[in-house]
Parts: sequence; C-alpha cells; structure tokens
Amino acid sequence: MKEFAVFWGCTIQTRFPFIEKSTRMVLDSFALPHRDIDGFTCCPEKSLVNNIDHAAFVVTAARNVALVDELDYDLVSPCTGCVSNLATVKCELNANPVEKDEVNSMLKEVGREFTGKAKLHHLVPFFHDTVGLQTVKQKIKRDFSGMQVALHYGCHMIRPSHALKNDNPLEPVKFDNLMAALGAKSLQFNTKLMCCGQGLDRIDEHENALHFARIKLKELKAIGADALVLCCPSCFLQFDNNQFLMEKEGEKFGIPVIYFTELMGLALGFEPEELGMNNHRVDCSPFIEKWEALKARPPKENGVQATLRGPSGL
Amino acid sequence: MLESSLNFKLLEMCSKCGACYNICPSALNLPGYDPRAVIADILEGNYEKWLTHKSIWQCLECHYCLEICYQHYGFESAMTAMRTVATKKGIYPPQVKRGWDMFAKTSRLGEPALPARKKFGLPEPKASGADEFKRLMAILKESREKASSGEEK
Repeated sequence: MKEFAVFWGCTIQTRFPFIEKSTRMVLDSFALPHRDIDGFTCCPEKSLVNNIDHAAFVVTAARNVALVDELDYDLVSPCTGCVSNLATVKCELNANPVEKDEVNSMLKEVGREFTGKAKLHHLVPFFHDTVGLQTVKQKIKRDFSGMQVALHYGCHMIRPSHALKNDNPLEPVKFDNLMAALGAKSLQFNTKLMCCGQGLDRIDEHENALHFARIKLKELKAIGADALVLCCPSCFLQFDNNQFLMEKEGEKFGIPVIYFTELMGLALGFEPEELGMNNHRVDCSPFIEKWEALKARPPKENGVQATLRGPSGL
Repeated sequence: MLESSLNFKLLEMCSKCGACYNICPSALNLPGYDPRAVIADILEGNYEKWLTHKSIWQCLECHYCLEICYQHYGFESAMTAMRTVATKKGIYPPQVKRGWDMFAKTSRLGEPALPARKKFGLPEPKASGADEFKRLMAILKESREKASSGEEK
C-alpha cells in the first residue's frame, strides 16, 4: 500500500482531539503506512473561503495537495469537508490546464508545484476500497451483531461526485457496507441522507440548526437506533453538541453520537475511555452498556448444541 | 477559472426545471426558502435585493441539487455567486466575517488544542504552513492588481 499523509483538518484538531486519537489507534492497529507532514493549512473550508474569494480557495487547496504530490504520497482524511474541498479544487485544476498553469506560476514563487497526481481519500471509502472489508472483518476482535445503528453519511463524503468519484452520490452504500463488516445493522430511515444542518450555526441561525438536528433525532428515537454513527466533525458538532444543548433545555433524545473510528476502535478491543468517548457531550454509555449486555448473553447456538450432544430420547 | 462567474445559459434552463427543489434540505425544512425566486431575479437583472437577504446564506452546500441536476449545475451555483457578490460589498453574517478573518490571519480556522493533545497522548502537531500561505496570498493579491491595472490601460 502506498504511503499516505493524514490531513487532520482544523475542526478535529481544534475541537475534537479525541477523534484524532481514535483515528490514530485504528490506523496503527491495521498497520497502515500513515505519515504526518509539515506545512498543511486549512483545506480551506468551502462555505467560508470559496464564498468570499474563489481564487484564495483554489490556491490554498492546491498548495496543500502540492505538499503530498511532492512526497509522492496519497492523502487520507477522517474529515469529509477537507477531502471534498481538496478534491473539488484538484478536479477543477486537472480539468482546466490554463487555470492550473496560472496557479502553478504562483505556487512556483513559494517553491511548490501542483501536479494533481496524489489520490485523496476519506477514511471510510479508504477502508472500503483500499484496506478492504475482508481485512476489517479479520482484524476485529468483537463485532456489533445485535446492535442497530443509524448512519449519517455526511454530504461531503460523497458529494460533489465529479470530484470525489467514490460512491453513488444519491444512494451511497460504502459506509453501510463498512457497518455490515463490523456486524452492526444499519437502519434505513427517511432522513438518512438529510444534511445535518450545522452550516446554519455558522451563519448565526442557531434555532434553525436545532430545527434540523431535531428532525433527524426524532426519527432516530422513533426507529429505536442504538446510536448515530457518522464520519464528519461538523456533523458530529451538530448532533453531539446541539443535542446536548437541547437536552439541557429539557428536550431529551438520548441518541449517542459515535464517530466511525470509535466504533472500529471498540471492535478492535479498545476501551471507550482509551478512545476518548467519555469526552462526548451526549452520554455514550447506553450504547456501550447494551453492547456489554450482549456479550454476557450465552451464544444462540448453545441450546441446539447441548441438545445434540445430550442422551438420545429413544 | 480562478475568478468566479455564473453561466446564464445553464441558469436559464435551471429556471425552467426546479427538480432539485424537492430534495433541497433547506427548501424542505426552512419556510420561505426558495432559490427559484433568486434565480428568476438574477435572470431579470434584479439580483441586488437578495444580497441582504438571509436566504442566500441558507444554502447548506450539501451539493444535493448539483447531483440531481441533469446539467450538473444546480441552485447552489447561483447561491454561491450571490454570496460572493454580497461579501464583495461587505455584507455577511458576523460569524462568516470572523471565520474569514481568522483564516486570512492564521491560515487555519483554529489551532490544535495543546493541553487536550497532551491528555490524549497525541504527538506534537506538525509545523503549520502559515508563513508560506501568507506569501502566497500576497502573490495572489499582486497578480490581481497587475491584471486590473492591465485592464485599465
């Protein structure tokens, strides 16, 4: 497997270092050739930078990609936004040679060159396609059979598809397949692909952000999801933090919000505290306790096996 | 291209379709949000009234419209253009301004949380690219000034 640089992104490193922790534990457990490299900046965040200055968006992203191009690494990130933004710019430049030259003439002045050859992956499709689900199944120590989770894809893991080309942008399956490899049942529900709405908090519309969170959380409660599993730090902020804020106001949903790297870490045998799951604002213990209770339950085959081995009835 | 632009031909088609209106999360869940009205006004040349309207910021850039659009264009292109015009005129939600300032000043939207890193046993964060980023932004500014003074001549 080709060496790859991990692009952590601002949100994970600033607000959720425990997501970095669980990601590193998972990468190490699979002995994947991951590297940390100097010089990354913000990806940059599209909804902010691209709205204000498209050229600054393109040049900044191109420089980040140039850093991995130079080392002949690929790039992998546990953040959907980062991968989507970098891939959007990579695609734009590879499709527009004139613009690419223009960007490279600027990058040259700081000693960089964007070639656009590095592959950019989000960690979920990376596990699906590059590590392989068979390897995931072989590596885990205990699966999640008996647990039912609700997946939140995160818009930018799969869209825009012309740049990411990693799954069906309207009916994605790879995250579901990863859950199946971990033995968890992925519930199907109406708001599964609905945008989390965290962007509304970024434009000072907190009530509307809560409104979006509430729609999905209500449905999850109704269908009896054991947890909401997601793969994007902005979505995590929306469902963990905003759910907590609603709980404080007396509106309780009680849906644990779990990053996919934490779920993988649990399956690999790490303790919730080692993975930093006690740093979530919404309590994860209902999920952990249910899973522990399943462990205590005798295997289903016991009854049949015992009878088979017992004395004959005749 | 490096400077953003709007494709009026595609928008014209867009104004006659509206397929994305039925999957847009903001259109489905925020009363009064209707990008079709914005697009109709852009095509009429009456876009200015939207620059101060909250609607143009309520597009969540989930790219759902882009994916269902048979032109692979979508409302979001129009909304992004409106936001760009608004910010050029100095109109934006306060948080957007704060975010942009932090990005321009530090090259990031926040610095790694050092005490927490220590607690989790995470390695020292790698060197930031802030200095090179600032030089690059200065180069971009210079090239734009050169281009616009060329236009004037």
